[in-house]
Amino acid sequence: MDLVFSVITFTCITLLGVMGVFVVTGLTGLFSFGQASFMAIGAYVAGVLGIKYHMPFPLAIAAAVLCGLTAGLLVGLPTIKLRRDYISLVTFGFGEAIIAILNNSVSFTGGAMGLSGIPKYTSLWLVVLSAALCIYIVANFKYSKFGRQCLALRSDELAARSMGIDADRVKLTAFLLAAAITSYAGVMYGYYTTYVEPGMFDWGVSAEWIIIVFFGGINSLTGAVVAALTLASLPEILRFASEWRIVIYCVIVLIILNFRPTGIFGEYELFAKHGRTKTSKGA
Amino acid sequence: MNRLEVRSISKAFGGIQAVTDFSLDLRQNDIVGIIGPNGAGKTTAFNLISGVYKLDSGKILLEGRDLTGLGQHQITRAGIARTFQNIRLFKGLNVLENVMTAADPYSSYNIFESIFRMGRRKRQEEENREKSMHYLDIVGLKPLAYENPESLPYGLQRKLEIARALATNPKVLLLDEPAAGLNPSEVGEFIGLVKRLHRDFDLSILIIEHRMEVIMELCRWIYVLNFGELLASGTPTDIQNNQEVTEAYIGEEDEECLL
Ligand SMILES: Nc1ncnc2c1ncn2[C@@H]1O[C@H](COP(=O)(O)OP(=O)(O)OP(=O)(O)O)[C@@H](O)[C@H]1O
Ligand SMILES: [Mg+2]
Repeated sequence: MDLVFSVITFTCITLLGVMGVFVVTGLTGLFSFGQASFMAIGAYVAGVLGIKYHMPFPLAIAAAVLCGLTAGLLVGLPTIKLRRDYISLVTFGFGEAIIAILNNSVSFTGGAMGLSGIPKYTSLWLVVLSAALCIYIVANFKYSKFGRQCLALRSDELAARSMGIDADRVKLTAFLLAAAITSYAGVMYGYYTTYVEPGMFDWGVSAEWIIIVFFGGINSLTGAVVAALTLASLPEILRFASEWRIVIYCVIVLIILNFRPTGIFGEYELFAKHGRTKTSKGA
Repeated sequence: MNRLEVRSISKAFGGIQAVTDFSLDLRQNDIVGIIGPNGAGKTTAFNLISGVYKLDSGKILLEGRDLTGLGQHQITRAGIARTFQNIRLFKGLNVLENVMTAADPYSSYNIFESIFRMGRRKRQEEENREKSMHYLDIVGLKPLAYENPESLPYGLQRKLEIARALATNPKVLLLDEPAAGLNPSEVGEFIGLVKRLHRDFDLSILIIEHRMEVIMELCRWIYVLNFGELLASGTPTDIQNNQEVTEAYIGEEDEECLL
């Protein structure tokens, strides 16, 4: 039973991470290869506050999310004005810089030895509830003016600007929402494993989330959720060694590239208000 | 005061002088045409007016307000909307959403109202939906509101671009070759649509078009560009009888379009 609970918990936490990437990469088309560093920020800030200052859990969550948002603003503000390919480079650099900082500020974070003794406050119902709430939030985001504007500028930024959309502002909003979600995921992670080390949050984790989003279908929230639930839980269930995990992901990427470039679900949504009416009304 | 005043704008790309010292006036509720051979700088002029490119020199005034140096989205919000020569609709959004997106900057609900479905969100989304449906109705696309834009035939995509531009609530509408690729009956329909817009909205329209029947039928005044410079300007009759203009088109594929 413990194994089942642990698989569900880790799957829900991965789902949270994937939701952040879905907002930034899926909806807005910005590749954030440093997304996992927001998870590190969440886990370390809440962890240190919990261990060293015995801060109550809800306050530690709030502080961690606030730090995530601040970091998001710092890296987001100058980055969103850049060309898209540069954005992936800058976010990658930012992510690796965060890890370097965590590795080197030994007195506070324990450095490469990691931070241990975080209280185990993350419960099964809390992560499941968090994941559900997060899906609700992201769905509301997608089907609001924000989601529409994100999709518009992902599809054609020049045309989007010409329709009066403040592209920089919309990108920053998406980036910050993702930063908040991902740093929250980090708190859940730290307070579940009770031990974190910098290596847990490197770019490989960010890449994994991006692959999951692409596997599900970049424009489909349904796809992202289903892909996260299956791809995150399968290796845990089968207890593959970590090298095999990479191999599996590589195979998945090849399959997507060759057979379904739009991902498994493409643009399909389970609860879309208006299904695309397939009755073509003549020419 | 003129609705739109373009004062001697210029733009060069590397060595190519795409637009040189071009000026233009657009009155309130006016329809004006820009014609000229391929590569004459017509689209570049639109890109300068709508802020896609920065001006090398010159000025652009909307109802006396200087728009020079503003960003694209600010110019659009000030009241200049456009369509694109090579259709640029949003993939991943359906027909209705394409139009709603252009009206979205007028919704003021914030991110928290958005993600928790609170406050002003519901009312403003409904208002936007209704307004956008109305614009779709005007161009005759209401029955196709939930289709993918890519699945529409070319002529309807052009109409959707117009509906989307209208949703930004413009004072000036820039149409870049809106009749390109349309069949003759669609061209007639398009002319009717522009006349209706002209009648029902307080809108000044600037049209780039190679098809002379469109320009002759709709425009009060015509500017002719050639190699980035103004070659002639005048009423449709003036232009039709202008020797220089006819010569500029010689050797052009579109030569037969002129008359
Ligand atoms: N972004 C750009 N970079 C470099 N050169 C450009 C750019 N945009 C336009 N040009 C050049 O400027 C000149 C004018 O082009 P423009 O597209 O404005 O012509 P046009 O009058 O719209 O022609 P058409 O009737 O074919 O649409 C051309 O020589 C073109 O190659
Ligand atoms: Mg052109």
